Amino acid sequence: MTHRPMMSRRSLLAAGGATLGLAGFGLGTGRALAQTQVALQLSWLHSAQFAGSYIAQDRGFWAEGGLEVALLQGGPNAPVEPPVVAGTALIGISAADYTAAAVEQGAPFRILGVAMQKNPFVIASLPDTPVTTPAELVGKKIGMALANTPVLQALCTLNGVDINAIEIVPTQYSPQPLLTGEVDCLLCWETDLPVAMTIEGLSPVTMLMADHGYAVHSQTYIATTDSLANRRAELVALMRGEVRGWEAYRENTDAAAELTLRMFPDAGLSLETQRLQAARQVPLMFSDLTDANGFGWWTDETVAANIETLALLGRKVTPDLWDRSILDEVHGA
Amino acid sequence: MTPGPMTPGMTAAQPRPATGSRRAGLAGLGVIVLGWEALGHLLGGTFLLAPPSAVVGYLVENHALMGRALAATLTNALAGFVLGNLAAIALAALALIWPAAQRVVTGVALVIFCLPLVATGPILRVLMGPGDGPQIVLAALAVYYTTLIPLLVGLRAAPSSWFDLVRSYGRGRLAALVHVRMRAALPYLFAGLQIAAPAAILGAMVGEFTGAERGIGVLTVRAMRGLDVEMTWAIATLATGVAVMAYLGIGLLARRVLTDAPPMILAPPAEPRGRSAGLAAALLGAVSVLAVVVLLWGGGLALFGVNPFFAKGPEDVLAALFWQPDAAQTRATLGEALVETGVLLIPGYLAGLIAGAGLAIAFTLLPRLAITAMPLAIALRSVPIVTTAPLIVLMLGRGAVGTVALVAVMVFFPTLVACLHGLRQTPGQVTDVFDSYAAGPLQRLVRLQIPAMLPAFFAAARMAVPAAVLAVTVVEWLATGIGIGTLMALSASVSDHDMLWSAVALVAALSALGYAAVGAVEARVLHIYAPEQSR
Amino acid sequence: MVPDPAAPPGVVCTGLAKTWAGGLVAVRPTDLVLKPGQTTAFVGPSGCGKSTLLRMIAGLEQPSAGHVLIDGKPPAETLRKAGLSVAFQDPSLLPWRSVRGNIELALSLARRPVNRASVDQLIALVGLQGFAEARPAELSGGMRQRAAIARALATEPQLLLLDEPFGAVDELTRQQLAQDLPRIWEARGTTTVLVTHSVTEAVMLSDRVIVFSPRPAEVIADIAIDLARPRSAQDARQPRFAALVEDVFAALTRGAALRDAALAAQ
Repeated sequence: MTHRPMMSRRSLLAAGGATLGLAGFGLGTGRALAQTQVALQLSWLHSAQFAGSYIAQDRGFWAEGGLEVALLQGGPNAPVEPPVVAGTALIGISAADYTAAAVEQGAPFRILGVAMQKNPFVIASLPDTPVTTPAELVGKKIGMALANTPVLQALCTLNGVDINAIEIVPTQYSPQPLLTGEVDCLLCWETDLPVAMTIEGLSPVTMLMADHGYAVHSQTYIATTDSLANRRAELVALMRGEVRGWEAYRENTDAAAELTLRMFPDAGLSLETQRLQAARQVPLMFSDLTDANGFGWWTDETVAANIETLALLGRKVTPDLWDRSILDEVHGA
Repeated sequence: MTPGPMTPGMTAAQPRPATGSRRAGLAGLGVIVLGWEALGHLLGGTFLLAPPSAVVGYLVENHALMGRALAATLTNALAGFVLGNLAAIALAALALIWPAAQRVVTGVALVIFCLPLVATGPILRVLMGPGDGPQIVLAALAVYYTTLIPLLVGLRAAPSSWFDLVRSYGRGRLAALVHVRMRAALPYLFAGLQIAAPAAILGAMVGEFTGAERGIGVLTVRAMRGLDVEMTWAIATLATGVAVMAYLGIGLLARRVLTDAPPMILAPPAEPRGRSAGLAAALLGAVSVLAVVVLLWGGGLALFGVNPFFAKGPEDVLAALFWQPDAAQTRATLGEALVETGVLLIPGYLAGLIAGAGLAIAFTLLPRLAITAMPLAIALRSVPIVTTAPLIVLMLGRGAVGTVALVAVMVFFPTLVACLHGLRQTPGQVTDVFDSYAAGPLQRLVRLQIPAMLPAFFAAARMAVPAAVLAVTVVEWLATGIGIGTLMALSASVSDHDMLWSAVALVAALSALGYAAVGAVEARVLHIYAPEQSR
Repeated sequence: MVPDPAAPPGVVCTGLAKTWAGGLVAVRPTDLVLKPGQTTAFVGPSGCGKSTLLRMIAGLEQPSAGHVLIDGKPPAETLRKAGLSVAFQDPSLLPWRSVRGNIELALSLARRPVNRASVDQLIALVGLQGFAEARPAELSGGMRQRAAIARALATEPQLLLLDEPFGAVDELTRQQLAQDLPRIWEARGTTTVLVTHSVTEAVMLSDRVIVFSPRPAEVIADIAIDLARPRSAQDARQPRFAALVEDVFAALTRGAALRDAALAAQ
């Protein structure tokens, strides 16, 4: 069994008690009962990006499932996959490419759910010289972190564009070079730099790479095979809370943004930015597929597309990286 | 911010500024603020610089948020400051009680100090889990070495006759420690603490990047991503202000506590007697240091039971570098990154040394310049590099200039302070000899003051090696996206932990070797120019 | 025989020698007997090893051969009961302590009670009244030497070892000190060893002058100074005094000649 420093003897006993209580009386509201403590490792700083989880926390969706969930913040230098391997976090928010890399290094991960059906990578440009198709990248200067070159390479391969016809300018993750005309476009996320530019009064044009064949599941829920074998109840309870939280989020993204600010007053967030970000990530997370099957869903086809794109990124994975058993249980219940 | 040089004199020897010079200093500060304001308006719309008026406005408007964040960061910085300095005192005590261990203690301490913060942050986060642990430990790691070294010098910085005096009354080492060493080391301890204060704040901020809940480091990331120029500059100003106040505060405390100017001993802590010098001893020392480091590393991982997916021991790193099928590829990647880093690091380091020494000389020739420029120099030295690295690179470009400039800034101030102190060390009688031949100020400078400055210069150059490495890796990681700093951040994000740990081991080893190499040059030069310092 | 603890001790050196780690011979095997209550001066050229001899007597330096007995016991034992004091070549005052603080430090190192009045008295005795609270940096060279001697006397040692205590002092002050200070320890009957390279000082202060050769130190002459005490500056003009000074000078010159002859013979 994985070493679990978060789990004290007392909380183990309490978990047993909670399960007993639920089984015996079929009570849904677990607030009064002792809770099992687990942690969810987020992939970035607190923001509306994880607002569905905040709703699950705030409205007691997890508590009802007998869980007390600690939300561990990410950051520019924060490890995401290692705490899941180490057992500090039961579930981590990763992405298919990072998960694939970790699995290559021997991490026993499975993807339990996919929050972002569409990868959030975009090519952002300004209205004067817009980039709306991959072909329009030719002859342009693109500002991006050199580390993301494989991402651009994959996009070019998928769309028959010669990457050598694009001038890559290594920049830090900031819209500033675009605004000063140093570059024509930026490789960034739909939900951060374009949001910042819009708040500053600009109207950036974004081309979602997912619309041009770049299929990499993002904001994926990962857990270890060990947890899948031994901690199913907790995984189901955690994912059930997530699903309910994100469904509530979709109902009212403004409320989700407001909750984010209320829960994290020290994060230095602005309501305006969070509202915009919350609204802009809806099309990435919800689709006909999730409407039909529920939040977090994927199909063999989307997995196949992912495997193909990941191969372009130099990551070899097999379909059994995705494990639907937990989602089946959540949505089947 | 920077681990500074060993300039024990700088705390106590700084004369209380006269009212006139204080006024000139304030005037200098005023000129800087006005220039900043003008430049801020000139660059309006480029998202580069917020003028001071906007910064003040932001701080007033968001004082509650900023106050809470600052309190969180300072609490961790203070905890790290206390722990790091206590560790330094404990290590110094160990070296004192068991003199044979000193070479190994200082060597291992240096290697640990050379661990790149970019990589130690996430490692600590995995080891310590959620909470304030990594922030506190990184703050402690950022300070302990710059206290340990002056303390080791200070504890021996007393004429032997003082110890004879204690022995002549039949008292032992404990009495010597209490009555002589502890008090004699005090100025050196204060010099270390003064350097440590801004460093602790920087360490805590870098620690926050590993997933802390709150603090000004967290807000820095938010501001940079959000194109919030006012917030970015407000945080940079706040962090700098606090660091400068901590620096000046400890200086003030030192002047209150200390009544005497300490002797200027800048050489590395002398080897305890009975140790034979020479190549064989140095080699033995290096091997012992290596053995202890490997033991701490492998043993530590085993002790904490860290998951092998993440934690790589010495044997894993050796395998990754030499035995695994892709070892050649790993070595090539590391080599390429190191070259990318080196071509910016070395010019930046040298430029910083030259600028520091050059400005010190200019200040000596034109004392008025010193009074005006000193506040700027202290501020530059105290700015936490994580807030300014992206800003400076934005302004100077992602090419070589930005990185070289930042490394130079990190190296420049400690060198300046040390050299100024060194220039003041010229013995008065020798100056009189020059006066008696009516030698001009230039001749006096070349023949007398610059040679007198050399020990201080080399002490600064030695301590600037880890500082320069810290600067270059942070700039690469946060701004330029090339070199070993980026390789480490990237390896961590794609779970290539073999590469991460190999890079960490390599950077630490190369930094320590660089330190030793500067030390070797120092020994040769001092042997000629200041034999009394090169025992 | 049971030694009287209050009585000044005698010092016996037997075959005492020192060779430094590098093979440099500092002191050749030396036999000396210093009588209780006497003041003995060690005279010799600079760097001859007389200070090393003194440090071996004080127990601060381990002899390479031979041994020292103070009152029949090794120096370590005398040190343990703080039975001796050393005044060093440089005053060795701790710069962060006042004159009073430095004297009190000696008392507490020696585990003696600190009596403010007697410290004041001592400060007055060495002519530093009004400077009790001054720090060493505020004092002239001569004043620092006097403070160091006051410190050495504070513990009322039975054995007083003075290593060129008036080294860094101008001639006038030196004469003054040489006249005033000995009265203090003479009155107490302290056994005293004085290292100096001033021949007149040696004759003025001591009951016996031992002349050493250039390094390695070897006894060339042992001259008894049979002048009446207390002595004053006037005594220095007496023919007997001049004759004794002449004797010491002659011995020193002989030592130098012997050394030159030895070198020439090589």
